[in-house]
Amino acid sequence: MSDLSPIIAAPKAKHRPFAITRLAGFLIAALVIIVLPLFVTDSYWRTNLIVSAINVLLAIGLDFVLGYAGQLNIGQSAFYGIGAYASTLLVMKLGLPFWAAFVIGTLAAGLAGALLSFFAVRLRGHYLAIASLGFAVIVYQILLNWISLTQGPLGIYGIKPPPAIAIPGVPQVVFADLRNLFYLVAGFALVVYIVLDQMVRSPIGETLTAIREDEVSAASLGIDAPKWKAFAFAVSSAAAGAAGCFYAPFVGTLVPDAFFITESFTILAMVIVGGMGTLIGPVFGAILLTVLPEFLRSIGDLRLIVYGASVTLVVLFMPGGIVEAFRLLRRRLYSESGMR
Amino acid sequence: MSSIVLQQAINGIVVGSLYVLVALGLTLIYGVLVQINFAHADIVTLGAFAAYGVTHLLSGNYLAGIAAALVLGAALGWLINAGIFAPLRERGSELLPLIATIGVSIMLQNTMLALLGPIPYAFDTPYSNQVLRFGTLFLTMQNVLIILVSSISIGLLYGFMKFTFLGKALRAVSQDRETAGLMGINPNHLIMLTFVIASALAGLGGAMLGPVLVLTPFAGTSVIVKAFAIVIIGGFGNVEGTILAGLLVGLIESYTTQFLDPGLIDIVVFALLLLTLAVRPTGLIAERREENV
Repeated sequence: MSDLSPIIAAPKAKHRPFAITRLAGFLIAALVIIVLPLFVTDSYWRTNLIVSAINVLLAIGLDFVLGYAGQLNIGQSAFYGIGAYASTLLVMKLGLPFWAAFVIGTLAAGLAGALLSFFAVRLRGHYLAIASLGFAVIVYQILLNWISLTQGPLGIYGIKPPPAIAIPGVPQVVFADLRNLFYLVAGFALVVYIVLDQMVRSPIGETLTAIREDEVSAASLGIDAPKWKAFAFAVSSAAAGAAGCFYAPFVGTLVPDAFFITESFTILAMVIVGGMGTLIGPVFGAILLTVLPEFLRSIGDLRLIVYGASVTLVVLFMPGGIVEAFRLLRRRLYSESGMR
Repeated sequence: MSSIVLQQAINGIVVGSLYVLVALGLTLIYGVLVQINFAHADIVTLGAFAAYGVTHLLSGNYLAGIAAALVLGAALGWLINAGIFAPLRERGSELLPLIATIGVSIMLQNTMLALLGPIPYAFDTPYSNQVLRFGTLFLTMQNVLIILVSSISIGLLYGFMKFTFLGKALRAVSQDRETAGLMGINPNHLIMLTFVIASALAGLGGAMLGPVLVLTPFAGTSVIVKAFAIVIIGGFGNVEGTILAGLLVGLIESYTTQFLDPGLIDIVVFALLLLTLAVRPTGLIAERREENV
């Protein structure tokens, strides 16, 4: 048994076709994404919506490698940074169109993840955790010190939003508009969610879970663990890379500090607070931990103290995260109604 | 040229021995529990601030500051074990305590930030300005103090582990907790003892790193990432390996600063770490732990 299994609340993946309830769920999610910015008109809160969408992308990506494949990766900030810097530099230095840079930036992050998996093949648990942390430190230091390329701590300024989509006869879609940018990022996150959801419910998901639960037994069943670990790492870090590609034009500036190792911990916290080993959990975790600090902004410096405390308290008292809390609540409601 | 090489060797050993103090704590806890305490970084920072505060309150008595940091570190170690690691032990997860202590670390750093502010503190000890010269080489009294205190504490720890009953019990627990329990050793007490010793060392290291570091609430993080590299290079849970790797990282740091660029220190250290892991997945000096299949 893997050491991760006691905290994973997910039931075993079942082979089910694209069930009607899932389709309904995805449609509801799409509807929420469409409607949300119509109610949230304040540009400050619209900014937070976009940050939430970026964080959702980061969290579900990390959960794929951490919760499903069971690989202790605590260096996700590296891939986030690689995506952000690679795409921005391709646009600004080589004049590539945004979407080409987006694809290359995402692939570059995915490739870096596959390379890191070279270590995951040979390392277990904490060794991998530290190796991934070390990788994140190296990437951060390169961003900080390769001044001729990244301008180091001074940062890159004036990054333009993605180009407007102009279809003749239809009003132009401008991504300088926060609402449209939110649609773009959240829509992309939803697509990634659906792809990951289908993947974890397919034999791929079972293969990854088998590796997580017991790598030796999985290998004895003919599972090529190194290949699948590389796959999980590549998918996970490509998602983080894509998040980075959106982050840069959204914020408009890039500084290495945005991709310091503490960012990895923030993403990790979102996965844990939401519920590791489920895909829906990290979505709620990401939204909660993005929005909660904003509500706490009125208490100033206490904000991040509460953030840290909530992470610790969730681990101590509700290690399955929000998902487990819901599950317990539902069970309690069912058993009560059953008694009557 | 050769005097520069020698001078940097001295500097490297001074900084390296402080890294050893911090890394030994991590490796002791790992040896007994197979767990990582991420808040170890903040014990280093708090140790540095405690030493700073006491030194300034007592009109420059730095030694009292070091003692205060040691005591504060021990107390924090006790608290973190009682509050986080002990309740999580029965769940048997390698990830949960790591994340819980990341939460503790965020809490501690931001509490310090609220109380102390982001501006670095200038921590000068009375010993920093007393210089001993040997030809072209020089040593500050601070460096002498660091080498003395750290070698005494490392020596005491080594002797304690090797020769006392408690030390032997501690090693027994780290080899096989259940069998040690059957031999009448209470593993919970020894785990607590390990945390207290490990954290006292971190506090001690912080007190002496304070004058070297950019002393902000986040100072410990830069130390802890190196300490992680050290425990991996030396082999998790391996005391001798940690000492060697700590000095090695200290030397790499001072030579990188001298001959390359201070900005490259972390890159060189972690490149070495990844290289080590690629060649020998359990560190330079292998961890003695069998895998249960």
